Amino acid sequence: KNQVRNTLDATLNLQSFDSQLVERHNKPEVELKTSKELLLTPIVIPKSETEGVLIEPSVNSLRISIKIKQSDEIEKILTKKFTRFLCQRAEQFKILRRKPIEGYDISFLITNTNTEQMFKHKIIDFIISFLDDIDKEINDMKLAVNARARSTAENFLKNF
Amino acid sequence: MTDISQISTFPITCHSWNADKSLVALSLNDNDVRIYKRDGTGKWNCLHTLEGHSNRVTGIDWGVKNNKIVTCGADRNAYVWQLQDNKWKPTLVLLRLNRAATCVRWSPNEAKFAVGSAARIISICYYEEENNWWLCKHIKKPIRSTVLSVDWHPNNVILAAGTSDYKARVFSAYVKEIEAKPEASTWGKKLVFGNLLAEFPAGTGNGGWVHSVSFSPNGNKLAWVGHCSSIAAADSASDNQVAILDCNLLPMVTCLWVTENSIVGAGFDCQPLLFSHGGGQLSLVAGLDSKVSSKEKTVTAMSMFKDMDKKGAGEVSTSVATKHQSAINEIRSVSKGSKGVNKISTSGTDGQMIVWNLDSLEKSIEGLRIS
Repeated sequence: KNQVRNTLDATLNLQSFDSQLVERHNKPEVELKTSKELLLTPIVIPKSETEGVLIEPSVNSLRISIKIKQSDEIEKILTKKFTRFLCQRAEQFKILRRKPIEGYDISFLITNTNTEQMFKHKIIDFIISFLDDIDKEINDMKLAVNARARSTAENFLKNF
Repeated sequence: MTDISQISTFPITCHSWNADKSLVALSLNDNDVRIYKRDGTGKWNCLHTLEGHSNRVTGIDWGVKNNKIVTCGADRNAYVWQLQDNKWKPTLVLLRLNRAATCVRWSPNEAKFAVGSAARIISICYYEEENNWWLCKHIKKPIRSTVLSVDWHPNNVILAAGTSDYKARVFSAYVKEIEAKPEASTWGKKLVFGNLLAEFPAGTGNGGWVHSVSFSPNGNKLAWVGHCSSIAAADSASDNQVAILDCNLLPMVTCLWVTENSIVGAGFDCQPLLFSHGGGQLSLVAGLDSKVSSKEKTVTAMSMFKDMDKKGAGEVSTSVATKHQSAINEIRSVSKGSKGVNKISTSGTDGQMIVWNLDSLEKSIEGLRIS
């Protein structure tokens, strides 16, 4: 967790940068990837073989992609539904990306307008707490699903 | 001691003082330039709003000699504003750029100014008397990426530029139409327009984008700060010897020489830092905000939403320990004393403008010595 925080602290130094390629445009360079010199090296921070965080920084934007631990089928389905729920409300979240990057479950896109409107250390706090909570949420949901399945099966089989 | 002004909740993109430092022109991350005046109670009031740009204003410079303000914006234009009948009237400058302008500075004698742009070009503009307009000449080679900052040498002819292709360069910007031939300088003898006099890397290794360049008061030294968290200085009097310091801090985006041997840099660490250059070496002396005290800041709506989102009790502090709550993006000199610049102003993305009194800070902060 500390590594992610330190990396975010070092890379979330964003400035407004007008496009070099198209006039009057001011777009997140990490999404367009048009000029190599404006992108910083992407960093992968793995927590285990199946979990990890990918951070792609650039001059005016940062993309963080998270791969959540999914050890069985139920977790896979739960993760997919949970991330889909969040991503459909990406407008409200402001820093969430509607589609995750290939190979990851959820992605955030933070641009210089976000850092101008919100405190940088608060954005970092939010991402770290999100990482902490998402594993717990998936586990809780899995337990809830199992408990519901058990109680409905019990009630059904009482008739026999 | 340090004079803190919360001008607005919007980020201050850039600022510039007038000759007697009673008025400051700044831009609040939008298309207008506002001129603020301090009233009796110390509050800043907006005196004039200069509307003209159709896109974000990226650079402002107030000429202390001619009382003209030059501004440049992301709409590829620059305007020169003149005060007539207590109103500021703009004059469009033909920059002939096809990308956004990023920074602008008057030359020391204020007969010309330089504009850096995302078109990989520096535009040097001068006034042509016969046609009553501003013309420009371009410096193109060998710039390969956006020009992030420009600074003039005191001899009015040499210009330094920091670009996002990881280099700081020194050019000759001698415009023969309006100037007499300059004398040879320590930076170079061939002063043809657009001649590259020196090129320096941003830091050790690959380096980073050079956010800001600054000439020392007598012009012999050049300092630049890069995104690789480094600050470097070259001394043209000792054969362009370069001293680089890789700091263990967040990158700086602006720098200013206060004396011939001291540089103040500021950036994402939210406080100005004093560096000393001597004997071919650069070293960090101290931060100007060392006495950190928690300050209650106005909470933005978004940060409040995020706080409510966070689980767990405990005090959620929304303020940072330094005076600036967010990154500093410009340093300007406010007044000069016997040793050099003794007051500087910093503006940041938290909407604050803070004036630091270096003389009194030198007395109060241990270890802070301006050489």
